[in-house]
Amino acid sequence: MSSTSQKHKDFVAEPMGEKPVNALAGIGEVLGKRLEEKSFDKAYVVLGQFLVLKKDEELFRDWLKDTCSANTKQQDGEITTEKATHFNS
Amino acid sequence: MSSLRSKTVKEMSDLLDEYEIKHGPVVDSTRSLYERKLKEAMAKGKKAKPSPDQTYYREEEEVTYEYRTPDRSDGAGDSGSYIRSRPACSEREFKHETSYSNYSRPKPEYGGKEFSDESHMYDLPPTSKSPYLKSTPGPPKEAPKALPSSRLVPLWVQFVFFVAVAVFLYLVFSSMETK
Repeated sequence: MSSTSQKHKDFVAEPMGEKPVNALAGIGEVLGKRLEEKSFDKAYVVLGQFLVLKKDEELFRDWLKDTCSANTKQQDGEITTEKATHFNS
Repeated sequence: MSSLRSKTVKEMSDLLDEYEIKHGPVVDSTRSLYERKLKEAMAKGKKAKPSPDQTYYREEEEVTYEYRTPDRSDGAGDSGSYIRSRPACSEREFKHETSYSNYSRPKPEYGGKEFSDESHMYDLPPTSKSPYLKSTPGPPKEAPKALPSSRLVPLWVQFVFFVAVAVFLYLVFSSMETK
């Protein structure tokens, strides 16, 4: 299982396209499954949610906690990835 | 408070603004998050509800303009007259009254120089802002009603206090210069 930072590097190395949520840094199998259950099946959907929350990290964290009971570390990984994706791509 | 579920998007948005919760659009995916946040904010106790009151207040001001004019000459302690003029909206009045009386009460403690000036200024805008915007017919439309007991501290006392503090400050300043 790749580390969060490795996952992050892999994710931002190219456009996310149709990558699944599992590819997001900080989102492992369990979380990924929870997200998919809520129909957040692709990484870009989660990015969309980040944008709908006005790119507010605090809100995004709350949403992650709410939706899939992500812990802080996972949230951090998520946020970093989203920000990198959005701002660098 | 009625269930958050049944609120419209606009109502949710307004509520979120009331509690100063930063938020984006209330859509399906964000709704439950905002509902939860509102529930937490409400549970914590109604923190901030100034703006809606002020908004309502300003709207009502135009309607109750006539009632307000005597208050204008009275000034600060006009919470009673607010209630007098709008018995129907007692709840909002009360909130505004408390916020207003909180406003005027700390001021005396703060220190006279600003107090009489600013309280006088503050007296005017809330009561006569929209009348000034709307129409110019003189504020003294009706004879001042009940002067004596509606003020917290009588106006002349405020002036005297202000002058005293001004004189005091001048003395201090001039003594500093000679030294």
